[in-house]
Order: sequence, then C-alpha cells, then structure tokens
Amino acid sequence: MSEQVAVIGGGSWGCALAHVIGSNGFPVTLYVRRAEQADEIRIHHTNQRYLKDYPLSHNITPTIRLQDAAPCGIIVMVVPSKGFRETAREMGDFLKPDQILLSATKGIEPGTHLRMSEILKAETACLKVGAISGPNLALEVMAGHPTATIVASRYNEVVAAGMQILNSTTFRAYGSQDIVGVELAGALKNVMALAAGIVTGIGYGANTRSFLISRGLSELIRMGNHYNVDPMTLSGLAGVGDLIVTCNSEQSRNFQVGKRLGQGESLNDILGSMQQVAEGIRTTQSAYELAKAFREPFPIIEIMYKLLYQGMSVQEAKLLLLGRPMHYEHEPERVVPKRETPKSLPSA
Amino acid sequence: MRNEDRERAIVEITGRLVDAKMEAAKQGGVPIIEVINDTIYHEQQRLRTDRSSPTYDDDKSFWRKIQRALPRASEREIKQMLHRCVDHFIREIAGNFNPYVYQASVQLVPVGLGFLLNAVSPFRLLRQLPHLPSINDHMMLTGRIESLRKLDSKGTIVFVPTHSSNMDSPVIGWSIYAMGLPPATYGAGLNLFTNPLLSFFMHNLGAYRVDRRKTAPLYKDILKEYATVSMEYGYNNLFFPGGTRSRSNMLERKLKKGLMGTGLRAYINNLRNKKSQPRVFFVPCTINYQLVLEAETLIDDFLKESGKSRYIIEDDESSDIRKIYNFVSSLATMDSQIRLVVGQALDPFGNHVDDEGESYDRRGRRIEIERYVMRDGEPVEDAQRDHEYTNELAESIGKEFARDNMIMVTHLVARAAFSLLKQKNPDMDLYRLLHTGGDIELLTHKELMAEIEDLQTQLQTLEQRDELKIEPSIKEQNAEHLAERALKLFHSYHSAPALTRRGDRYISEDMRLLYFYQNRLHGYPIQSKAAHARAA
Repeated sequence: MSEQVAVIGGGSWGCALAHVIGSNGFPVTLYVRRAEQADEIRIHHTNQRYLKDYPLSHNITPTIRLQDAAPCGIIVMVVPSKGFRETAREMGDFLKPDQILLSATKGIEPGTHLRMSEILKAETACLKVGAISGPNLALEVMAGHPTATIVASRYNEVVAAGMQILNSTTFRAYGSQDIVGVELAGALKNVMALAAGIVTGIGYGANTRSFLISRGLSELIRMGNHYNVDPMTLSGLAGVGDLIVTCNSEQSRNFQVGKRLGQGESLNDILGSMQQVAEGIRTTQSAYELAKAFREPFPIIEIMYKLLYQGMSVQEAKLLLLGRPMHYEHEPERVVPKRETPKSLPSA
Repeated sequence: MRNEDRERAIVEITGRLVDAKMEAAKQGGVPIIEVINDTIYHEQQRLRTDRSSPTYDDDKSFWRKIQRALPRASEREIKQMLHRCVDHFIREIAGNFNPYVYQASVQLVPVGLGFLLNAVSPFRLLRQLPHLPSINDHMMLTGRIESLRKLDSKGTIVFVPTHSSNMDSPVIGWSIYAMGLPPATYGAGLNLFTNPLLSFFMHNLGAYRVDRRKTAPLYKDILKEYATVSMEYGYNNLFFPGGTRSRSNMLERKLKKGLMGTGLRAYINNLRNKKSQPRVFFVPCTINYQLVLEAETLIDDFLKESGKSRYIIEDDESSDIRKIYNFVSSLATMDSQIRLVVGQALDPFGNHVDDEGESYDRRGRRIEIERYVMRDGEPVEDAQRDHEYTNELAESIGKEFARDNMIMVTHLVARAAFSLLKQKNPDMDLYRLLHTGGDIELLTHKELMAEIEDLQTQLQTLEQRDELKIEPSIKEQNAEHLAERALKLFHSYHSAPALTRRGDRYISEDMRLLYFYQNRLHGYPIQSKAAHARAA
C-alpha cells in the first residue's frame, strides 16, 4: 500500500501539489479551511477559485479537520507564512517524531528570521523536516507543462521520500541537502519579483527586467554568504530557476502586485482586491531586517522596504536605485569616484 | 569500568568492531586487508616522532610483526589479525577500576586542588604547598543539581562540560563526587597517565586512556565503541564536546560530534536489547574561572596559529610546578572562584528532559523519543539520519552553554577595557592592536567606570532574559569595586597583568590576556557604551 500523504493548505499551490502527489498514486488527505471548498473537491474534484476547471486527482480526500491529516507519514505544509507558525503549533499536538514534514511555503518570519522548516522544528517534535521549492507556477503544473522542483533536507530519508511522492514525467524532482539555500532563495526571490513587476508596470522593457534580476541575484548570493549557502544552490532551480519565472510571469502573484504598483495603484487597493497572498510583501520586511543586521548594502531589498512600508514613491525609488555610487559588479565596496566633468575641452 | 565488566566489554567491543568491518567489506566497503594496512601506516607514522612513548618498543615490534605476516596471510588469518589489532588498542584504552581506590581518590581531591594536573607528582606538589586550599572554598556548584540526582536513576548520564583548562577534569570529577553521583567514565589524554602514580588515580577516577597521537581510523572507532558499550553497561560518561581546551577562551560554538553520537548508538542498542532503562541523558555543564591557569599559553597558541591551534600542548602552565604554585596560592589568597553550572538535561536528539527522564518538545508536549529511531516497528541505526540527530543535539548543547555561561568579574572588566581601547584605536586591526597595545593605550578612570556600569546593565538584562548567567558580585557591587577586584585578580597570578592602574589611568600590560578574558563574552548581543548611545 502506498504511503499516506497529507497536504495542509487548499490554496492554488497546495491543491496543485496534492494533485501531483495524488496523480502519482499516493492517497492524499488535503486539509482546507472552508467546508464549501472541501465539498467542491470531494464532489466535483475541482478548485474553481484557485485552479479554474482543472480536474484534481481522485486520490485526494479533503478534510476541514487538521487531526485527520496528522496521522500521515509525510505531511506537506502549504499555508501562508503569516499563519504558518500557528498551524504548525496546532499540528504539533497530533504529530509524532517519526513523521516527515515538508514545507512548500516560501517565506522568512519577521522578527525571528526563521525559515519555515525551522518553525516546523520549533513547533513540533519532528526533526525530519525539508523544503520544496522551484519554478512551479500552480496553473502551469496543473496544465501538465513540464517543470522541476527541489526537495531539500539535511536528512537523506526526507529527500528520498519527498522525491518519490513528487516525481513524475511532467514534474521532475531533484534532491538537495542545502535546505538553507533552497529556503532562502525561495523566500527572497519574491522580493525581486515585486521589484521586477514594478519596472514592468512602469513600462520598461526586457533590458531593465534583466538588469533587475541579475542585481537581485547578486543580493541573494550575498545574503546566502552569511548563511554559508552553496552558491550552486542559488544558480540552480530554487535560485535562478525560480527567479526567472517569478520575475517574468503574469501568473506570479508577487509580480502582479509589483506591476500594479508600477502602474500607480496603491498597495492597500491592490491587496484589497487580491484573493491570494503575495508572500514577497512580508518577506521584504524580514529581508530588510536581515540586511540591517548584516550591515551590508542590499539596495533592492532596502528600496523595496521603503516603497512598501515607508511610503516612498516609485519615482523616488527609481532615482535612489540608479543614483547609487558606481562600483565593481561583484564588489559593492569597491566604489569608483565620479569623474568631474571637464569645464572646457583641453586646448589642442 | 569495574574489572568484572572490563573483560566483558573488551570481548564485546572487539567482536562488534570485527563483525562491523567484515560486514562493511562484504558490502563492497574497505577490504579488511586495507583496514589493517591503513592502521599499520598510521601507527608507523606516529612511531617515527613518538619515540618517548612508554610503549614505543612494544608497539614497534607489534606492528612490524603484523606487517610481515600480512602479505602471506589467508582470509581467516587476516580476520584474526584484525582481532589482534583491535585487542592491542583496546587493552591500552581500558583501565582498571577499583571502587575502594575511587573513594580514596575523590577524598584526596578537595585536599590537593592541583594534584591531578598534568605531569606533576602529587607528593611533590603537596610538599610545596603545606597550606593547600580546599576546593570546597573556591568551587561554587549551582544549577540543576537536584534534577541530575533524580535523573541518575532513570538512565545513563553523559556529562558534556565546556573546556577551558586542564583544571576542568578535577573540577568536574570533584563536582560529580560532591553531588553524590557515581564516577563518570571519560577519555583522558595519555599525557595525564605518564606519571605512574597519577595514572593509577586517573584509572580509578573512571578515566580511560586516549592517545591523541594515534590517528588510525580503527583506533578512533574503538574509542567510540568503548564509550558506547560503557553507556550500555550503565556507566555515566563524560566528554568535552569542544574536543580540546578553548584556546581563545570563547565559549565553544562548534562541537565535535564523533563521541557525542555514541549516546544515540547506546540508546538504540539499549532499545534493541530491551533494557529496562534504555535512556541516555546529556547534561551540559559550564565551567568558568576568574583566572585561567593556562591563559597565557592558550591565547598565544590561538594568536600564533590564527586559530589553527596545536591539538596538544605539552609545555603549558599546567606542567610548570611554579605556575601551579602561584595559581593555587592566588586562589587561596584572592579567594578566586571557579563556578560550575549544571545545565538542562537533553536527550540524544537535543530535546529537554524532565526529572523523570521524559523528553518534551519546545511547547512542553511529551515526546515518544523511541519513535525517532523506529522503522517498521524496530529500532534501527541509520548512519546519515543519526549523524543529523547528533547535529541537532550539538546545536542544543551549544544553546545551553550560552545560556549557562557564567560571566565573571574578570571577563566583565576585561571586556570594558578592551572595548574602549578598540574605540580609541579605530584604524588598528585586531592583531596590530594586540601586538602594540594601541597608539592610545591609556584609559581614564571615569571612562572605564562608565563602560563597566553600562556593561553591568546590559549583562543583567541578558540574565533576566535567560541568555546568560552572571556571578552575583556583578549585580551586587558598583563599578569601582568590580574594577578593583578584577585588577587584584589580574595582578595575583599572571606574569604581567591584563589591566593595571597608574594613578587615575588604566593600562594593559598584556593585551593578549585582556583579549583572552573578554572573549568569554564573545557572541552575545552586547554593545560598547558609545555604540549604545549612537544606536539610541
């Protein structure tokens, strides 16, 4: 008999992951909050609100009781980072130390700066924890477009279990031991997606977006250095892979929020009209706190924080970003002084 | 280990190791002949430089015989040779234990504080020190002592203390005795056994011999197996998880996991063998000194090697009779203190354990810890998983160390002075500052007192937040008193004081020592008064 898997969270990515796992033949218990959503999944095998008409795997059994999901051998957490700790704590009442927990939520908790897998360890007795991250837009996954993901954990057993339930001919799973790098990249790329959305909203083209993505990656790498992250992780699926997709796709929620900001809408209006969470907004706060603690310049992160939390205008942000001192590409501390403009041409 | 257990353990360890190596070879791992060849190579390399070893001749002839016989040996003979190699090592490691001698030994400890120190004849020391102070007057034992006593009957205890001095062994040995607990088995460096009389006592205090010059992987495997088996037999153990004395005096943050992992193996074996008390508890202990016996040598080593310290220092203050005399005298006259804090007990997975031996998660929910190691209902070993579990334990021990690290007056005053000197010489890197003492090397009385007061407040806040501990005088006395006391201590023992007063000014006569003592505060969120003011 196949291993029972639980997915906690009925948003677009939670349902898509439950579908991938269910399609691989594993019975999935899917925890959702709303009874109507559970009924829709049970009766019609769809989740119209988030995944349009895409049919969900029949191996999915929805529930609105967290304890129904708790006895499963593998539990995948896909709840917004804001409610992650609370849900994990509630789960902790039912979990046993031999269970495997995987986080597919991308975020860093403000204040504590804990990654989601660290919150799982803090709130439950489970130590075998891991993370799932990669260029995975839920609707494309549901459409069966081939893509890949990373399952990361310090425990080989967790990596193997995660890969086994996820891997298919359209969804390729790779393993990694660098859970810190995978989670850090997954969280920080959302900040860059907001920024990429803004420049797109302003009306700038591919040059500007590429400039922003590359400099964003440079900030990711520098942040990663403080955590001894393997640079190869950041150049892989969870880093560059996820950065490319999230900074370019209209399907990315963070990109959408940024784009509307660039077009002049206010943040409150945008958030008020959204059904889903753009994790990048909360992560910007954590990333800004980290940047301050590391006492190193992280210009995109800092400017995004000022824009989202301190009322800076898009125009001011642009000037601040482009008006910074000139420096060598990979050595921000190696500043080149501005050359004085000659008052007159040298005489012949 | 008691003599009746010793022979049984030797047979058990040899059997386990030979079986494990045979099984590994069968599964495509290292062939037995290579294991033996590798061991011969490591031993011959050691013998080239280790000619003073008391077992030099025996070892040389033993390994030569093995080397000669190996090429012609049949498979059966190779297995027998492996057996002999293991037996050769294990007999040196395992000592005799006599409970009557143990009683006598621990009673001697309070009389002669320094008698267990490296390469010193206790009689010679005792003759020189007719008024030797009693350890009872200088040792302050605090923390979860009652919990520890209760836990002792619930499973096997592994003491994991911080390590900053050769004094740590007698200090912890005495503390275990004073708490009324049975002696702990521990691996002590071979140098502590070189004196025959001392060796006799060491064995009888529960120590087994560890020769750090022996680098063969087989030897290290035997050491780990010895610790594992002794735990399974119910003997409490003691490891210094930092591996070696902290050269910089910073609290150990990186811990050695090799020996620590033996606790988990013992637990799994106990579950397999359905022992009635299968649990193993790790008890972190912090040891702090107002003055560290070997401070000068340790910090020199740290700075010379830029952190790549020598593993064994043989010629430090603990082998110098005059130094020990001065140190012990200063303990007596200065009423200098040593503080040992018994910390929160942990299970092999890093969870907190209560007095009943039950484990709890961070939300206070009881954990069925056997489920960490179960697969299909059976306890199993899994090297990679268990390595990660031990990493979790190491992380938890590190946190407990930081929480129970007791800051002494010498640490506080050194930190205040060092921090001011750094501010006054902003363009100097650490090594230049330590080497030259700084372009501006004098501190005024006013500024030093202000810095001490500010630090006192910060440390008290950290203690209230349960992030560290401070010795009571830091709470009770004003900056003037604290500075006076620290200066007296610095003057009492070291060849040059870390800080001294000249009129209304203060100067360091040994910057390395100032740095050494202030390092005990490394890693805590403490700011200098100026940085504090800027932030505000």
